[in-house]
Amino acid sequence: MKMKKILVISLLAVFGVYLAEVLFKLDFGRQFFQQGVKDFYLITSPIKLQVANTVTAIVVNFRGFDTLGEVTVLFLATTAMGSILYKGRHQLGERTVLFSGSRIVTTGSRLLFPAIILLGAYVFIHGHLTPGGGFQGGVIIATGFLLMLMAYADYTVSHVVLSVVESLAGITFATIGLLGMLHGGSFLQDFLPNGSLNDLLSGGIIPIIYIAVGFKVGAELTGLIYTALNEKD
Amino acid sequence: MVGSPVLFIAVPLLAAFLIPLLGMVWKESIRILPGLVLLYMLVLAITLLEQVMHTGTIVEILAGWKPPWGINLVFSPFTGILATLMILMGFIIWIYSYRFKNVDFEEAKKYFILFMMLVTGSVGIVLTGDIFNQFVFIEITSISAYALTAFYKHRDSAEASFKYLMVGSLSSMFLLLAIILIYSQLGTLNMADIASKAHLMKPEFKILAVIFFIVGLGIEAEIFPLNGWVPDAYAQAPGPVGAAFAGIVVKAGVYALIRIIFTLFDVSGTHQFLIVIGLTTMIISEMAAIRQDRLKRMLAYSSLGQMGLVLVAFGIGTEEGIFAAMFLLINHAIGKSLLFLSGSYLVYNSADKYISETNGMGKFLPVTSFLFALGALAVVGMPPFSGFWGKFFMMSAAAHANMLLIIALILSVSLIELVYYFRVINRIYFYKKESHITPKKPTVNAVIAMATLGVIILIIGFYPDLISGYLHQASQALLDKGKYIQDVLSTGQLLTH
Repeated sequence: MKMKKILVISLLAVFGVYLAEVLFKLDFGRQFFQQGVKDFYLITSPIKLQVANTVTAIVVNFRGFDTLGEVTVLFLATTAMGSILYKGRHQLGERTVLFSGSRIVTTGSRLLFPAIILLGAYVFIHGHLTPGGGFQGGVIIATGFLLMLMAYADYTVSHVVLSVVESLAGITFATIGLLGMLHGGSFLQDFLPNGSLNDLLSGGIIPIIYIAVGFKVGAELTGLIYTALNEKD
Repeated sequence: MVGSPVLFIAVPLLAAFLIPLLGMVWKESIRILPGLVLLYMLVLAITLLEQVMHTGTIVEILAGWKPPWGINLVFSPFTGILATLMILMGFIIWIYSYRFKNVDFEEAKKYFILFMMLVTGSVGIVLTGDIFNQFVFIEITSISAYALTAFYKHRDSAEASFKYLMVGSLSSMFLLLAIILIYSQLGTLNMADIASKAHLMKPEFKILAVIFFIVGLGIEAEIFPLNGWVPDAYAQAPGPVGAAFAGIVVKAGVYALIRIIFTLFDVSGTHQFLIVIGLTTMIISEMAAIRQDRLKRMLAYSSLGQMGLVLVAFGIGTEEGIFAAMFLLINHAIGKSLLFLSGSYLVYNSADKYISETNGMGKFLPVTSFLFALGALAVVGMPPFSGFWGKFFMMSAAAHANMLLIIALILSVSLIELVYYFRVINRIYFYKKESHITPKKPTVNAVIAMATLGVIILIIGFYPDLISGYLHQASQALLDKGKYIQDVLSTGQLLTH
């Protein structure tokens, strides 16, 4: 047994040294990224697409199909967690948060909650202008709900509403893709006017998709937190 | 014009988002909609396949950016056949599981969403022409698979699912590392673009990327040292899900591995590696299969062995070898799914699913037992059934490539398969039923699904020429790397406004 462990560790060490040897040659920061697609993205997104945030342009426009996939991954993760932790209404466990916070905590949370939601909405609405976007904004919104769920023992969110929001947001994303097919000829093609750089209404379909993603991620993560909080033992 | 390849992804995604809404209004819709979507996909796949056979590969650009800037889908004879096979299996398994969780609405809804996404993810893995997009689809498939494995709470399914989750996450990590390595060196994620530039990569990075890919995709393709999670996951998942793993998911993993080895990189020795690893997987799994006393674990090990055989056939590398591999792949998808579907009825009411508990079922479940026997004969490779041709073509390919040892190994492994499948058939027909087991009659839709698979086995067995034309084109498409690169890189136009 002991010999086996030593053997495994030394094999891993050999592999690790080889990996480090090769990966150190990668030269991050110096001769990195001399060629490839990045120049095209950097030039095209501000000039042609009128999008200030190149990362957003890549995520939602150039590689929007990946984003649709990632949104689906999140959707499946919530569905999966729901199916594993699901209990019938009569079996629903007690909340792991058993008592409300002190008055200071509850009042403070109530004051902070709208501000957090506003910040989340700001982040996803300005996804094409400033750093951030639908995923980040959605997560911020979910933290707002997490705060409320932690502060109040009896705070509830409706699973039906969450599920409707989630579905509608997903349908919006897929429908925009299909509309692009009808208008421009390919799935998720940008078919709206691009506006001008740094305007709130610019970037074609990017703001619409990111608003949908923001709602979707917010609803899904809130649902996840809520399912996990209500799990018995 | 029925549609383009992107609808294979877009339509089921739209449906998956719609199901929770529709389910609130009309409960039956959660069962019907996935079937309609799969049927539509099947019609689309067959139409496109017919078109591709005559006019050549369809390359579809997405979001209006041509490769390498945007993502593209490639529907070639090779990918098209695999996608059609997966969708067909998905549709048949949907028929089988139509009444699944009949009383529990919430659970049924989740099952159908996850199952549809399992099929969609696998089809996406096969159709995409972009390496990161493939990673996204692998994630979609894996997450559905983890959840479906853990679906029954009264079995040890949580353990199986957790094991699968851990190994699967490791696989994702390796894949991501490989993708990062490639992007750092070539600055592109498009498969055709990578293939045309692969020679520019420094050899040490190239070899490391290939190793990462083989480890990452090897977990998905269930090759030998990386397949410890398989028997647990197959045995603990609900019956139709086990069938979907064998018929759909593992095919996607094998495809991804084959695409990396055949198209992306031409590192020498990878074909020999496929042969060696395939033979090892085959021999060890079949030896393990013969020692199992539980039915589903035996089927799972047998499935591993068969996939090893498919890898060996790909590893031969000649057009004939790939043709045989495709034939074996199709036979395995149909035969093994039939075994899983009928096998779950044979051990329906037994807690531990022991093989001995199938004793005497031939008298009580005549149709199911007959179909199980048919599936077993097809998988073993008995003549007039479909499996015979797969193994026959495989051996002739090996003979032409002067690999006589492979033939000897295949024959001896077939003998092992024969022994353990006949042991079960013998128990089903010639033993007395255990008194504590009450047989469960299959539902009508389950019988229809299993009978369809049985009929397909017979049709391919008697008329292999029906599909061999398609398979010849498919194997040429896989081998002709230059044409793949040219097809992809020469398509499409840029967004103009």
